[in-house]
Amino acid sequence: MRKNKLVSILAVAGLAVATLGFTASTSHAAVFQVRLYVSGDTNVERMWLTELIPAFEKANPNYNVDVSSFDLHGKNDALTLAKIIAASKLKRDAGFDVIEAGFVQELGLKGYLTIPTSSRMPNINNVPASLLAMSKGGIPYRASTVLLAYNSQVVTTPPKTLDDLIAWIKANPGRFTYNVPSGGGSGYSFAQTVVDKYLTDAEIEKLVTEVNKPLQAKWKQGFDLLKSLNPYTYGKNGTYPSNNAATLSLVSNGSVDMATVWSDQFLSGLKAGTIPSYWKVAQVSDRSLTGGPAILGIPKGTRQGVAAQRFVNWLLSPVAQNIIVGGTLNGYPVVPVSMLSTANQGKFAVGTDVSKLRSSYLSSNNTDFKNQWALEVPGK
Amino acid sequence: MALPPILVLGTFIGFPIGLAFLFSIGFTGGLNEVLSIIGQDVRGRDGKLFTLQAYKDVIADPRFAGDVKTTLIVSFVATVFVLLFSTGIGLLQRLRGGKLSSVLTALSLTPLFIPVVISSWALYTFYGSAGLYRTIFHSFGIDVPQITSTMLAVIIGSIWVSLPFATLMITSGLQSVPNALIEAAQDAGASLITIIRTVMLPLALIPIIIALTFTSIGILGSFTVPFFLGANQPTMFGVEITNFFSVYNRPQQSIVMAFIVFAAASGIAFFYIWANFRNAKESGRV
Repeated sequence: MRKNKLVSILAVAGLAVATLGFTASTSHAAVFQVRLYVSGDTNVERMWLTELIPAFEKANPNYNVDVSSFDLHGKNDALTLAKIIAASKLKRDAGFDVIEAGFVQELGLKGYLTIPTSSRMPNINNVPASLLAMSKGGIPYRASTVLLAYNSQVVTTPPKTLDDLIAWIKANPGRFTYNVPSGGGSGYSFAQTVVDKYLTDAEIEKLVTEVNKPLQAKWKQGFDLLKSLNPYTYGKNGTYPSNNAATLSLVSNGSVDMATVWSDQFLSGLKAGTIPSYWKVAQVSDRSLTGGPAILGIPKGTRQGVAAQRFVNWLLSPVAQNIIVGGTLNGYPVVPVSMLSTANQGKFAVGTDVSKLRSSYLSSNNTDFKNQWALEVPGK
Repeated sequence: MALPPILVLGTFIGFPIGLAFLFSIGFTGGLNEVLSIIGQDVRGRDGKLFTLQAYKDVIADPRFAGDVKTTLIVSFVATVFVLLFSTGIGLLQRLRGGKLSSVLTALSLTPLFIPVVISSWALYTFYGSAGLYRTIFHSFGIDVPQITSTMLAVIIGSIWVSLPFATLMITSGLQSVPNALIEAAQDAGASLITIIRTVMLPLALIPIIIALTFTSIGILGSFTVPFFLGANQPTMFGVEITNFFSVYNRPQQSIVMAFIVFAAASGIAFFYIWANFRNAKESGRV
């Protein structure tokens, strides 16, 4: 509390100085510090550090965003989750004001998040209600989807449906790959999509929104199909690349002709020239590959709650959404495409609706899924 | 006088180990409470004194047998090769000297100065599907199988990482064998093999055993090399423990595995203690 008081005194002093017309350097007035925790891949890190944060700090000179914790590939997610829950139980500060991680929904479900309101964050009115409902108290701020990447010099007509894709994999042994589900979302998406083939829409919906152990028994058939692909995937021996980047490196050096990739990572790779220009992407249907929003959470009882909400509100503004779409990440927006700049609107097919992306399971089902995959599929 | 170190060790090492052990046998309350709220499939003792259910879960897991096998094979084979190489280099340097032995020693020490992550990645690209190793064979029209994602790659990587320490240890041990003893054996007409077998190796036994224990314990608990170079499944315990702890969110089972590895490492450490004890006895300290 004392610190807050000090901060407000400083802010008032800063305001007074500004109104007196002194040409005070803006960098000295950075008094609201938002501590951001990000768990993701390097492309996400780059977007935060070189694009979003500098733009936000420029537009809001008295704010300062500190990314003290960046957790590559979310390897420490379980520990961070423990830290936040422990801090909340002891009524202490968790050390983060805004969190981007796969476990944000889980935190929301357990009641550890500040519920977003349009009075504090008017821009959430532009976010589709279904995405907000799915976020369980978190705030979606960008989206991406997994797509099927293919070498157009080898594959002239890419598979249209999931069944076509599986037939192609079997007809072309060793030319398709997906990474270990626990290592990255692009491989996870393929595995979940195959498993979802044998589930009804209602069952999938349950696994996306609630912790449900009994329903997990229905995964068996899908895992059997995935296991049967072992002799046909890259390496032909039931081994899989360890993460998204490893999949992309097999794509770039021509070791495979088809793989599942994140839309944003693929587009960035094409732009940077690490992926040859004759590689193209397509979506399959009849269980499309999953995608979905990246969700931010503001923990309850954080020290800088108001500043954090202001930061998140800015992220949902057209300015920030244009950076997400047009910058190095090549992400999907969470606001209607029509709110973007004309150049960025052109990147999306007419009628693209991020709220229609098929989502991945809720994090504890998701963890069980990765565990089951490792048990059932590789090396068999 | 020994109190401060004991206090530090007790607080920072003993206490967490004790806490983890209690967690593994079902004490889910107190300081373990948060971990047990978050973790999946956590087995509590439910009013009983303790439970071994988590241990049973781990052993019943179909992955366990494969992981044990992989970990033991890799640790054993890599340790044998490391000892063969480093003893060979040490003997060459002691008995012949010259340029070749200097080059070999320098090469075997190189991995010491290269971070494990970098060397694992380098080995991965070298032996990978489009790496130099396959490309060379391919240019002669031979299609050799890919080594990465196999146990062989993990063994090669483990040898690379462990060689420097063992070489330093064993080379210095062999260097300290007095010339007089070797010459006396030569004068008595002993062959080279006999000199090595009956004079040099016994005198360097303690450094060799220390190298053996450190190498095998190091490989037993290694993570980076099997993570980069090994198959997804079965894998070594270092990787499996990390998987269970973070990506599968099963902290209790990962702690159980850690205790199993700890028990195995303690078995090896016995040799180390024995060697030290013998050393102390010889120099009259015990």
